[in-house]
Amino acid sequence: MTNSNNVELPLAGIRVIDVATVIAGPYCAGILGEFGAEVLKVEHPIGGDPLRKFGTPTARGDTLTWMSEGRNKKSVTVDLHRPEGVEIFKNLVRQSDIVCENFRTGTLEKWGIGWEVLREVNPGLIMLRVTGYGQNGPYKDRPGFARVAHAVGGIAYLAGMPKGTPVTPGSTTLGDYLTGLYGCLGVLMALRHRELTGEGQYVDAALYESVFRCTDELAPAYSMFGMVRERHGPTHNDFACPYGHFPTKDNKWIAIACATDKLFERLASAMGRPELASSSLYGDQKTRLENRHDVNEIVRDWCGSLNREEILQRCFATGAPAGPLNNIADIFGDRQFHARRNLVAIDEPDLGETIIVPSTIPRLSETPGEIRHLGPKLGQHTDEVLTELLGLDDQQISELRKKRVV
Amino acid sequence: MADENNQKEPDDITLSGEPAFSPAANVDPEAAKLPMSGVRVIDLGTFLAGPYAASILGEFGAEVFKVEHPIAGDPMRRFGTATKRHDATLAWLSEARNRKSVTIDLRQKEGVQLFLRLIEKSDVLIENFRPGIMEEWGLSWQELSAANPGLVYLRVSGYGQTGPYRRRSGFAHIAHAFGGLSYLAGFPGETPVVPGTAPLGDYMSSIYGAIGILLALRHREKTGRGQIVDIGIYEAVFRQLDEIAASYGLFGKVREREGAGSFVAVPHGHFRTKDDKWIAIACTTDKMFERLAEAMEQPELASSSLYGPQRQRLAARDEVNRLVIEWVGSLSRTEVMERCLDCEVPVGKVNSIADIFEDEHFQARGNLARIHEDGLGEVVVPNVVPTLSATPGRITNLGPALGNATYEVMRELLGLAADDIKRLRQRKII
Repeated sequence: MTNSNNVELPLAGIRVIDVATVIAGPYCAGILGEFGAEVLKVEHPIGGDPLRKFGTPTARGDTLTWMSEGRNKKSVTVDLHRPEGVEIFKNLVRQSDIVCENFRTGTLEKWGIGWEVLREVNPGLIMLRVTGYGQNGPYKDRPGFARVAHAVGGIAYLAGMPKGTPVTPGSTTLGDYLTGLYGCLGVLMALRHRELTGEGQYVDAALYESVFRCTDELAPAYSMFGMVRERHGPTHNDFACPYGHFPTKDNKWIAIACATDKLFERLASAMGRPELASSSLYGDQKTRLENRHDVNEIVRDWCGSLNREEILQRCFATGAPAGPLNNIADIFGDRQFHARRNLVAIDEPDLGETIIVPSTIPRLSETPGEIRHLGPKLGQHTDEVLTELLGLDDQQISELRKKRVV
Repeated sequence: MADENNQKEPDDITLSGEPAFSPAANVDPEAAKLPMSGVRVIDLGTFLAGPYAASILGEFGAEVFKVEHPIAGDPMRRFGTATKRHDATLAWLSEARNRKSVTIDLRQKEGVQLFLRLIEKSDVLIENFRPGIMEEWGLSWQELSAANPGLVYLRVSGYGQTGPYRRRSGFAHIAHAFGGLSYLAGFPGETPVVPGTAPLGDYMSSIYGAIGILLALRHREKTGRGQIVDIGIYEAVFRQLDEIAASYGLFGKVREREGAGSFVAVPHGHFRTKDDKWIAIACTTDKMFERLAEAMEQPELASSSLYGPQRQRLAARDEVNRLVIEWVGSLSRTEVMERCLDCEVPVGKVNSIADIFEDEHFQARGNLARIHEDGLGEVVVPNVVPTLSATPGRITNLGPALGNATYEVMRELLGLAADDIKRLRQRKII
């Protein structure tokens, strides 16, 4: 598969079966598809991936989340509860490189298509297995969702005002995306290993682990000093000051993050008060942290005296680290998002509408990824795949369809 | 584990003598079988956004050299909780894992020349300076790819390498705000809070970076050509926000802060138990709510005339949440967990780090790696994710001492003579 510049994409020739649901496993397949892999989304003939119903519905019935995250995939319906369906699935696996799944542990095994069976079908197979808690350990059979993973992995506890209710860390699906990313990393590592040895393997990714891995020194600080980090509201814990969200005169919010003394010096000069950064006042991080109440008060007063745009312009002029707390309307109007083409409008002919979705990241200079189309209709590619890949004829397909196997 | 950290330049170098350092003794037998074996990565970044990509590659077998300023080193060494080692906070020890430190001053011409010689012998370069700084030092893509046409080059910055804001300084905290995540964290109409951890965006952009590097390495294997992987931290954050762009684009819907809940499902949030702890419940589907109603011993709540369908629960959000708040508040955390788990309700403790250390599942999965560090004792850090069945990653060492491999690299890799190394050191070039 080549991209629009006619350069072969890095995953051209790789076939992925995405039998996973919702976001975590499917997002891995989505990234692979953006960079050239052929992705076959295997779904239940009735209803398909529950992601099709998750979020805001479009005129077609499928939700916007499905339209965006089903990008570049081909939909093939196969009922894996039926022996004929299992045979079709094995035949697809035989001709593929990667399988992404995120059923609860033991489900694929129950259907007779667990890792041990599939690796015999295809010894070079790479299989991503995403679950809430991983393939082993005492909780392995518990149902897992990102919401629960944020809690178990330790970040929900840290989000919110001190002693207040822990809040959603911005989005309920963060852990799904993070796990899709880690899964994709694992799959790409496994592909390298396969090219060297011919040997496949499985990648075991757990939602809560992806979350926990992003907690900087939370674990070492507890183990060494018994420090239990608590919720800190809009500010950082004990590392840096000023560091937080401040309301502006026009009732908007800005973020400021003075991670180093140099950055505070720039903020002080943006505030027109360079003396604040002197060594006798708040020049070093330690003093600022000790006097965090006073420092935050000074910054809050300054922010409250000006409109957001004025504050940002003054900060940018001195290189102080500040930015707006954008809502999605701000984002649509932002020059940087436009210049980087972070939003792409894709025409969906069968919807008669244009859908705006986040574009492909990261950006590769020679082999940039791409969105060829959005989420397909349920079973849109069943005939194509059964005919071209498995060599079935029209009659066989219509019999399978009559029996609701596909 | 800590041997490499203690590697020091021998004091008694003689021109005729053998180098005290023997490369053969340093080969990691485990690494040879790992997928990134034989790949050499130069991490020129500071803090976490970008450097974490190098850590991941290192965990899976790459050789990673951290190139740092000879005097100051990476500011991450001073960011976080201090330890007895003056050049290492806990954050540095954990996230600078699996590296060797090499000091080179890129503000000096000779430093740049040495650096380019190192690039010739490497596969991947990672940096996260403000766009334009590398170019100022004489290390533009043109110069780098002339030294090594196959170089894979990851550039992480707050706003990416292009666009009107590219020169602005960017940190995860700013990127969470700019990318639209911070606006969503907190209670409606109240102060937006940090979305759990301050460096989340640094981790995310690094994972994207590592994926980009792996893709670019595949391309290089086919064509021999390197390329640039460009990511803005805000982009990594924005990419996680499911349908927020599509629903604004199509319906003009601006998502607001949702406190502990979610716009798509009810009940879906955090609830306080009788013993003043918190649990998370996520009834994403009707089936999950049916199970919860059963756990609450009020199965009638899930009837179609009451709160069975998600649509009806969303319409009666406050009432449904009230019922769950009351029920959860009447029991201890252990009791709520048991009842929910018996009925297979998606439930979890809102764990503090103390809870995590006690948790049997974290133990069973080996999520807490206990590493002995000379002079510090045991340091506990998050283990490698994801888990690969045939080629699992590993942690070979924690954050190295400043310059612990400078001598090794100058002598063995670049072939400098011992007295040249000494001279470079005296002039603070390395």
